[in-house]
Amino acid sequence: MQVLLVLLAIAALSLLASSRTVLDPGRFPALAQLAASGLLFLAFGAVMGPDALRLLSWKDLAALRPLLALGLGMAGVMIGLNLEPRLLRLLPREVYAAALAHAGTAFLWVALPLAGPLLFTMGLPPGAAVAAAALLGASASLSSGHFAVLGYRSGRMERRRGLSVALLTMLDDAVGLGVLVLALAFGAAANPLEGLGLVALALLLGMACGALLAFLMHGIKDQGELMAVLLGGVALVSGAAAYLRVSALLAGVACGATLALVGSRAVEQAARMLGRFERPSYLLLVFLVGAHVHARDVMAWALLPAYLGLRFLGKVLGGALAQRIAGNTLALPPRLGYALISQGGLALCLVVEYLTLVPGPLSQRVFDVVVAGAFVNEVLGSRAFRHVLESTSEQAPTGTPQAPGGPS
Amino acid sequence: MKGALLRLLLLVVVLAAIGRAQVWRVDAGTSVTLAAGALLLCGLFAGKVAKGIGLPRLTGYLLVGVAVGPYALGFIPGAGVKGLELVKGLAVSLIALVAGTELQLGLIRRVGTKVAALCAAVCGVTFLAIFGALFALKPLLPFLAPMSVPQALAVSALVASVVVSFSPTVTIAIVQETSARGSFTEFLMALVIIGDLLVMVGFAVAAGLTRASFGGGLDLWGLLREVGWELFGSVVVGGVLAVAMLVYMRQVKRELPLFLVGLCFASAEGGARLHLSPLLVSLAAGALIANLDEREGERIHHAIQRAGLPIFALFFAASGAGLKLNALMTVGPAALLLVALRAVAIYGSCRRFAPVEDVRLRRYLWMGLISQAGVTFGLAALISRTFPDFGPQVEVLIVAMITAHELIGPVLTRRALQRSGEIHSEDAPGAA
Repeated sequence: MQVLLVLLAIAALSLLASSRTVLDPGRFPALAQLAASGLLFLAFGAVMGPDALRLLSWKDLAALRPLLALGLGMAGVMIGLNLEPRLLRLLPREVYAAALAHAGTAFLWVALPLAGPLLFTMGLPPGAAVAAAALLGASASLSSGHFAVLGYRSGRMERRRGLSVALLTMLDDAVGLGVLVLALAFGAAANPLEGLGLVALALLLGMACGALLAFLMHGIKDQGELMAVLLGGVALVSGAAAYLRVSALLAGVACGATLALVGSRAVEQAARMLGRFERPSYLLLVFLVGAHVHARDVMAWALLPAYLGLRFLGKVLGGALAQRIAGNTLALPPRLGYALISQGGLALCLVVEYLTLVPGPLSQRVFDVVVAGAFVNEVLGSRAFRHVLESTSEQAPTGTPQAPGGPS
Repeated sequence: MKGALLRLLLLVVVLAAIGRAQVWRVDAGTSVTLAAGALLLCGLFAGKVAKGIGLPRLTGYLLVGVAVGPYALGFIPGAGVKGLELVKGLAVSLIALVAGTELQLGLIRRVGTKVAALCAAVCGVTFLAIFGALFALKPLLPFLAPMSVPQALAVSALVASVVVSFSPTVTIAIVQETSARGSFTEFLMALVIIGDLLVMVGFAVAAGLTRASFGGGLDLWGLLREVGWELFGSVVVGGVLAVAMLVYMRQVKRELPLFLVGLCFASAEGGARLHLSPLLVSLAAGALIANLDEREGERIHHAIQRAGLPIFALFFAASGAGLKLNALMTVGPAALLLVALRAVAIYGSCRRFAPVEDVRLRRYLWMGLISQAGVTFGLAALISRTFPDFGPQVEVLIVAMITAHELIGPVLTRRALQRSGEIHSEDAPGAA
């Protein structure tokens, strides 16, 4: 009954969060921003969870595991479907180098200094502490491009600039997923080789399901049937991954990417149809992530300022480096690092996946730090982006030539 | 059809591979999402195959569920199928909501009395036949053999009241699938719905008598309160739901299928926990909307048709996967005897008591009354929980009967509609 009440509350909150009054930034700026990014649900989950109001118990959360797996699978499939091999091939090398530079800098700035405290406070084997620190770094390396997208859509930022920032943040996702692979290889099994085998199993499963889904979709014209096949496919890949205790997120990405590769013309339609379920499933996922937070871990609160500060420095330095590398190829704004402060939902997906597959106090602490960090970064991100807009209006666009296949 | 068969086989192979891969892992994770995805996809393509060979899609959903479920090939773990109970409640609610929108006041005025009279006759004759047979089989049935005569009489009445029940879920799903329209279809649908109301009342009375015969004392006031709450409480809650839906449809006007799915989910879960009948709650809501605002009733009908296919395919495939084939083996002979007796009783009473002005009712109506599904499952489980001494054995017997009825019922229902000449399309969009 509690689970039912919570689901109903989420449904009501979804309606509220999609209300134009709430989303109007002129009336409640902070609320509108949190509602638009979905992080309002994160706070809602944390408040209702077993560590705060206890409207949801740990048993309830265990019963909601299938929904968590489904949400992760859906997120993975959507990421995979957005991977366009043709576009990725056309991107110049400087763009990849810039993405790697800013994501890598933030990664190193967070992972290296925080590995020490994790290693010494938890008393765990070095491999596990390194994997956990790497995951902290990976989540720090991720940024959300939604402010840039909102900026150019509202006309407050030049379109090419907005797209350039959004492109860089999209490429971050690959870095984050790569580190998740490493963290799972080190933490999800008794030895790294076995861990790597499990990651390979998740990817293989995703590819098989993607190919199967493409075959099942072939020749289906009825919209209802197509929708049923797509939903069944997403449930199958995430369910199989959850059943085999491998990463539903990675399996979903492999499934979506395979579908994008072999699905020919049906892919666009599939992406459009699944897109209708993307936001509800994302909001549910974010709510469940919030409910898993351990708000009473003092060490996590102690780590949080360090995590936020180091990430900020990493982003500012990484942004400057990226601008130096790709300044002639992309129309990047000045103070790029400030535009990258906001953290994407993928950071939450990474840490909740890690928590599910490598349960324990260490992964819980990493999870708590990253979730709280994502919330704070979202609130700070808006102000930081305003700085970027101000500096952009002060300084005229550099007018750099557009690279072939560039973001615009 | 070949393409659908090939896709279905491929799906089964993938499921087998996942099952094989699981053997390498020491402990499995949650299997509910896997069960949902696999049953939805398998159900969808099995429905197409069934349609290709002239069977109802629903039979395809059920059969593939049985095949890949835990009691046959075992590709889907039992825990996964059990975790889909929520989906089953949701589907029953949605189906009942659609059925309710068909219950126009004009229809009730036109055929209400005749349907109620025939329903009482069919249920009465079937009840007496099953009751008599069970009591006669007392020495042979392990759960009845050790009981005293009054106890055996009360338990026979209890089991007979459940065995009488029909399946509005199957009937409505088949009507949707075939887009059947006409007086015969209306009569059949009204009869299965009213039949289930009678069964609910009969069951509550029989359960009270059984409790009394086992020393619990006959609490007449409690009995009346129980029946009254289930019937009138459900109608009142259904009325509240109807008002909520109408307000939403007039004020919000967006994402109606999603809203209906959410509301039906809430009514199914909430209703079951408040000891209301989820079927009756949704039925009352649908009927009230259709009679208050016909246009909104039509909108609900179309919205559920759009969202219905995945839910129906998953519901019936999960029902198939939950059918305990081993139960059919252990109590098979007794169950088959009762199945045959029930069919004969329904056939005989329809031939004898159906209205004379429509010859189709006398000839074909009985075929539409053979199915059993959700309500019967629910009552069998209730017996098991309420009477732990003999209830689980009764549940096995009833589930064995449901298994047989689920496999032949949908085929017969479609045949009844076909022969009545009221089928308009074999492939309605979004149909079950």
